[in-house]
Amino acid sequence: MNMRQFFAVTLSLIGSNLAHAADTLTVFSGRSDKFVKPVIEHFTQETGIQVQLHSGKSTGLLNKLRTEGKRTQADLFLSNDAGTLQKGSDLGLFAILPDSALEPIPSNYAAKDKTWVGLSARARVLVVNSKSKSAKAVQSVFDLAKPEFKNKLAITNSTNESYIAGATVYMLAAGKKRTQAWLEGMKSNVDGKVFDKHSKIVKAVASGKKSIGLVNHYYVYRHLAKHPKDPVSVLIPDQGKDGMGVAWNVAGIAISKHSKKKQLAQKLVEYLVSEQGQQQFAEENREYPTRKGVAASAEVPAAGSYKVADIPMYQLGTQRNATIDLLEAVGMP
Amino acid sequence: MERLLLRAIAQACCNEMTNKKLGPLAITAIAVVFLAAIPLLFVIYNSLQLDASQWAGLWSKRLPELLWNTLALALLVAIGCFILGVSAAWWIARYEFPGREIAAWLMILPLTIPTYVFAHIYTSILEDDGWLGRFWHFIMGANTATPDIYNIGGATLVLSLAGFSYVFLMARSALSHSTRTLEEAARIQGANKLQVFFQINLPLLRPAIAAGLAVAVLHVLSDFGAVSMLQYQTFTLSIYLQMSGRFDYQGAAGLSMVLVLLSLTFLVTERFFRAQQRYYSARQARRHIPQKTSTTVTVLIWFWLGLITLFAFILPLAWMLHWSLDAWLQDAIDREFWTYTTNSITVAILAATAAVICAFPIAFYNARKRSMGSSLILQLSSVGFVLPGPVIALGIISFILAQLPVLYGGMTALILALVVRFLPLAVQSQDATLQQLTPSIEQAGRNLGAGPLENLWLVILPMIRSGMATAWVLVFIDALKELPATLILRPTGFDTLPVRIWIEASEEMLELAAPAALMLVVGTLPIIWVLMKNNQKT
Repeated sequence: MNMRQFFAVTLSLIGSNLAHAADTLTVFSGRSDKFVKPVIEHFTQETGIQVQLHSGKSTGLLNKLRTEGKRTQADLFLSNDAGTLQKGSDLGLFAILPDSALEPIPSNYAAKDKTWVGLSARARVLVVNSKSKSAKAVQSVFDLAKPEFKNKLAITNSTNESYIAGATVYMLAAGKKRTQAWLEGMKSNVDGKVFDKHSKIVKAVASGKKSIGLVNHYYVYRHLAKHPKDPVSVLIPDQGKDGMGVAWNVAGIAISKHSKKKQLAQKLVEYLVSEQGQQQFAEENREYPTRKGVAASAEVPAAGSYKVADIPMYQLGTQRNATIDLLEAVGMP
Repeated sequence: MERLLLRAIAQACCNEMTNKKLGPLAITAIAVVFLAAIPLLFVIYNSLQLDASQWAGLWSKRLPELLWNTLALALLVAIGCFILGVSAAWWIARYEFPGREIAAWLMILPLTIPTYVFAHIYTSILEDDGWLGRFWHFIMGANTATPDIYNIGGATLVLSLAGFSYVFLMARSALSHSTRTLEEAARIQGANKLQVFFQINLPLLRPAIAAGLAVAVLHVLSDFGAVSMLQYQTFTLSIYLQMSGRFDYQGAAGLSMVLVLLSLTFLVTERFFRAQQRYYSARQARRHIPQKTSTTVTVLIWFWLGLITLFAFILPLAWMLHWSLDAWLQDAIDREFWTYTTNSITVAILAATAAVICAFPIAFYNARKRSMGSSLILQLSSVGFVLPGPVIALGIISFILAQLPVLYGGMTALILALVVRFLPLAVQSQDATLQQLTPSIEQAGRNLGAGPLENLWLVILPMIRSGMATAWVLVFIDALKELPATLILRPTGFDTLPVRIWIEASEEMLELAAPAALMLVVGTLPIIWVLMKNNQKT
């Protein structure tokens, strides 16, 4: 026995290789367990296929998938951010999905090369304090750069996934120059004080400490479910004939290129794009199902009742580094 | 630069080999160091791929600010830990007051709380409707904004509270071992109490304080949880963002390289100061007898220690209890919670045991040889502590996948990464006890006919048992709290308590993280008890 074999044997005694049952799917999930488990349980009930969730942060899991290469145990990759999904496609980590998984979903919400499909959408909206007249008069996200919101504006720090995705949409819809001016205006308005959590933004706006904030829509409804009397409401920006529309971002799923259970994995994707699966996937977090004809939770404004920025979701990935460069060039906190 | 470093290492190893015949001890020590250096090699390899213009880009855009941020934070935390740790150690070691034993406990308990939990709790209780927020408004008036901790001040507060216990532990043990002779001589010469403290005690304590501060500062340099929660840009956070936000391993490696050089400079300086400060004391010298305190002094001491405890332990604990109760009432604690707990404890036990075993040859070899080579080996084994967890994790994955792919998928990679990360803690504490082992004791054993192994087993190991136990406990505590490497390397579906805390926290359902945080504290308590018992014995 040479040295290397010896080490291999001893070390594998320390770490028991967890046996993986043939009919268990492993999902690298960048989405909260709380929102994934209910739909997974339904899937297992219907098909008898067990699903193991390996949760974490989307970007971290994608790094893991990339480094592991063909050794990966992941069969599927689930993320809350189209940008991260597209990054995975660009790195060549995903397999091509069957048409049965892609057909039900508008192509705007899927990868161009069919490697991932969007499952639920979140809208980048404004949360306003109902007592603030100036906040309620806002029409566009670009108004957040106005000096009247000095110290009254609440945004997250610039490493936030949703924030980067939103800024990417604005870059593509309104141009780099305008986005840069917007970031600079906001930078001076927040004066270095940004939030680490969206929920804290809603809270600060509800308490009147700030009058307006930029968040994903469900954070506002989550807050209102707990504190129905708080003076906060959702304002949908950039509407009207000349408005660019609201920035959307999708959560989606992909099949790992090195999965040995692609057939089973396809079944899960097919279930998630089915009407039933769509409802269950989006409901718990009050998101918009991407499949046409499946309604979102009754609390949120119906999809189609407002204008959405016309940007294919895969561009959130291809343009991601350009956005980060801009954020850094401006020096957003 | 890296090549020079490598050449120096190679040279030193060769010297070591040619000078004397290379015993099994040296071979084992070098093997362990190689293991510890895997992530460093990964970093060197990746940063070599950067060309000059990329380095220039990193330098001009990032480095000056990062250097300043990181160094300023390290310095402030060192000051914070010094004030808290040395003051507490002084009073507890030198005065006999009611509740002294409990006080010693209270000063160590903050070690059970991870920095990211500290950071989270402080951000939430300082909100307007948080406990401290409301208290603040009550004192300062409703219109004064609560203090903002998303800055260097907040990071200093959190990391000092989380780290001062290391300084306390080392300073207290040094203080209770020190003798009265020098102090009394100074007093006879007419020095007052303060002069004695600054001119006799402090210099005598310097090695212990330096060791404690080194551990605390290294925690700062590699801290990921608190700085990411408080959004304070240090090297570690920036490396993480470079890696996970941009998928740019080379840039991350370049930044890591600078961090490593920074930390090595710091470590070498610390060692240098420590090497110059060796004090020997005669066996017969009189030990200190703690001084009985008057009521006023007792009240004063307890006021200070109580204040430290309030912020470093009681407030966080109360927060955890409050929200755990809430979760329990809502039935949010399920069966899986206990799986996370056993997972955490299993990983920590394996990592601590492996680290103590791996550290022994390094510390022992250094204690025997005391040569340039042996101390270089000792320094190099510290490299894991200064690299950010995510970088270690990626280095280990790459190594295993390339060299030992059969091991991938189990727990080996995770344990290996934790050993690499926390090896320095184990090496330091074993090194400290091994220094007390004089060659004469070993020689006596050999003279009496013991073979080398018998000598090791019957003479050396029993003598350094307490050092090993301390090493085990320190690694256990850190491994139990470890987040970034565990997040990447755990087997699929294998969640530990810190991982759960992090997942809940990143989905902004922070209160759900409370039971897991509480469990970490509860799980560490028996281990801390062992540590305290052990300290009393020595």
